[in-house]
Amino acid sequence: MKNRLLISFLLLSVIVGYCLIALPTQKSHMHPRYIKISAEGKPLKPWQGPWACVYDKEKQLLWEIKTDNESIHDGYWTYSWYQNQKGVANFGDCYFESNRCDTADLLRHTNENGLCGVQTWRLPSSEELASLVEPPSRPGNTHIAHDFFLHIQHGDYWSSEQTNKLSKHFNQFKEGAKSVNFHTGTSMTLPYRNAAFVMLVSSVTDLPTSQVSGRDTLITTPKEINK
Amino acid sequence: MPRPFFIFLHTVIAIAIFTSLFSGLRIATISHSELLVLAPILPSGHVHFWHMLSACIITLTAISYVFYKNNDITPNKYTYYHTWVNRFGYFSVLGCVITGWSVYFNITQFQTQTLHLISSFLIGCYLLLHSWIYFLQLGKKLIKRVFFIPLKQLPWFLSIGLILASIGTYHMAQNTYISLNVVPIGANVLMEIDGLADEPIWQEAQSINVHTIGGANFVDGQTTVTIKALSNKHETFFLFTWADPTHSLSHLPIEKVSTGWKVVENGFYEFDEQSHYEDKFAVMLSKTCNSGADGTAHLGKTPFHDKPSNWHGKGYHASVDNKVRDLWHWKAVRTNDMILADDNFIGPLTKVLSGQRRYSAGYLPDGKESGAYVMNWLWYSPNGVIPKRLPKDALYEGDIIPWFGSKPYKKDDDHYPIGTRLPSVLYRSNRFEGDRADVRARGQWKNGQWTLELVRKNMTPSVHDVALEHGTCMWVSAFDHSQIAHTRHNLAISLKYIL
Repeated sequence: MKNRLLISFLLLSVIVGYCLIALPTQKSHMHPRYIKISAEGKPLKPWQGPWACVYDKEKQLLWEIKTDNESIHDGYWTYSWYQNQKGVANFGDCYFESNRCDTADLLRHTNENGLCGVQTWRLPSSEELASLVEPPSRPGNTHIAHDFFLHIQHGDYWSSEQTNKLSKHFNQFKEGAKSVNFHTGTSMTLPYRNAAFVMLVSSVTDLPTSQVSGRDTLITTPKEINK
Repeated sequence: MPRPFFIFLHTVIAIAIFTSLFSGLRIATISHSELLVLAPILPSGHVHFWHMLSACIITLTAISYVFYKNNDITPNKYTYYHTWVNRFGYFSVLGCVITGWSVYFNITQFQTQTLHLISSFLIGCYLLLHSWIYFLQLGKKLIKRVFFIPLKQLPWFLSIGLILASIGTYHMAQNTYISLNVVPIGANVLMEIDGLADEPIWQEAQSINVHTIGGANFVDGQTTVTIKALSNKHETFFLFTWADPTHSLSHLPIEKVSTGWKVVENGFYEFDEQSHYEDKFAVMLSKTCNSGADGTAHLGKTPFHDKPSNWHGKGYHASVDNKVRDLWHWKAVRTNDMILADDNFIGPLTKVLSGQRRYSAGYLPDGKESGAYVMNWLWYSPNGVIPKRLPKDALYEGDIIPWFGSKPYKKDDDHYPIGTRLPSVLYRSNRFEGDRADVRARGQWKNGQWTLELVRKNMTPSVHDVALEHGTCMWVSAFDHSQIAHTRHNLAISLKYIL
């Protein structure tokens, strides 16, 4: 009888102990390719935020992340293609310029502000932009990893590639720049005067290694809203 | 009773009772968070199937036992203790069987779910008093005495008959529905989706009452939903009314504190907010009509071992048979002013996104072309948030902040006194566009009752919608200021179109 009582007690202890220690904890998993980067340029864990840039480990590129805060990085702003006196100036729509907007305006402001600690922002090549295309992971989403690339519109994004001959109904404008459409995941050449979206990029090889501490969330105040 | 048949019945009912008890406790964790302490030893996944099947086996085995006991002339060989413990066991099992079927068949509005839980605890006590005491008395001999079945002496005909009858009972229970007659109306009958239900034609529609249980914040966790339906050739109109004592429109408000702004919450970090949330109502549609939300309820913290755990430990919805279930989710703040219900669906397990903390398994919104509500914070943290926007009118009072009635947050504009609360829901536009906007709905709360009018086209081009036609099955759930803790019912509602 004593042995049976002892076995019962041990069995009960094992069950209670198992109940206390067996609750699984939540762990984030690194994306095989992308790392969130804070506005100050520090790498974040996958569940941390907010983030202002994404680092592509595979291509060693730092991408601008769009916002919905009416700052220069707002994802709804559109730009005409204009670089080094080439293209059409001020044919896009934004709030941060007294005139309308073009790609040079976004580049100038972003480099002046040093987004994510970088001042070498540029327009991406069409190959770099197309490398972001992937099938939508949710119905109706854009062709991009939307858990990292926020506020991406169902529309065209400018690349840096210019003097491309236009075809079909764009013939009258003769030449334009290449773009990638994240609604369809395809590339096409558009007239410079078109209002398209922009996601800037920078070639970065030495990503800061110190990670922001904390659990999965943190609060940082973007520069634009400190005013 | 012949000893081999007794051992057979005893073994079958012992397995069935343990299966039923553990699967039932897992189901109870949805409404009783305190039971989550037992979660590691409870089964996960599609436990409704095992609970139902074991319930059928227990019911028929108990009936068989009573039948044989009545014809049994052998003298009682139990001790006085075990005689009374067995009587206690019969009482507990009988109580559990009656209350269980009452819950399943939606028979009574009395608190049968609570009685079912209490009787399952009594069965747990019985197992201790019965099995454990036998173990202390007999030790290893118990195994030979209780579980060794001499196969040659087993009455195979009766044993196989019992198993087949249990499976048959399970299928009969699965194929029992509540019927809702959808009353035909002419295409020229004007219906206004305003939540008032003042169209005379509603008086002509037959109504059904569906008693739903297990939701947070409702009186005793229950509310009865009254349902009517009308249809013309193109659309079906639904009228839902349910009692909800509180008109809850405060949806995760943000409050000014000494360090900035904070989300007012009680469980939102685990995606199980139960205090500061809007009222909601959900309707699920399917071409099949099985229990456990048509097989889409997969309970437990990690019901799918190759997918992430959920934060609240309660479970996921997903269609593991790859069929789509339509899910309309009306929200008293986020969609009511859009005159819409959020058109969602339950589909196969979706891809895990490493950048998102919440995995929703098979539950997803339909695609949309534009329009949305967003939350009024740059990034959620339980420690504090920075609002996205502030109302242009500092004295603004409303349940949502319109995008164009607000301006981007700037520290210099933030002169709100400590204790100020602002809505957290921002309307980017006044409605969704695309598949997600297929369901028009408007609710009104008056005198402790919500009235919700809802309409959708019978056929839509969306692959994530289920057609409204004869035989389509429906389930409803009400939420009283809770994020996921909704009421539920077991029997499907089968739509009967007379057109």
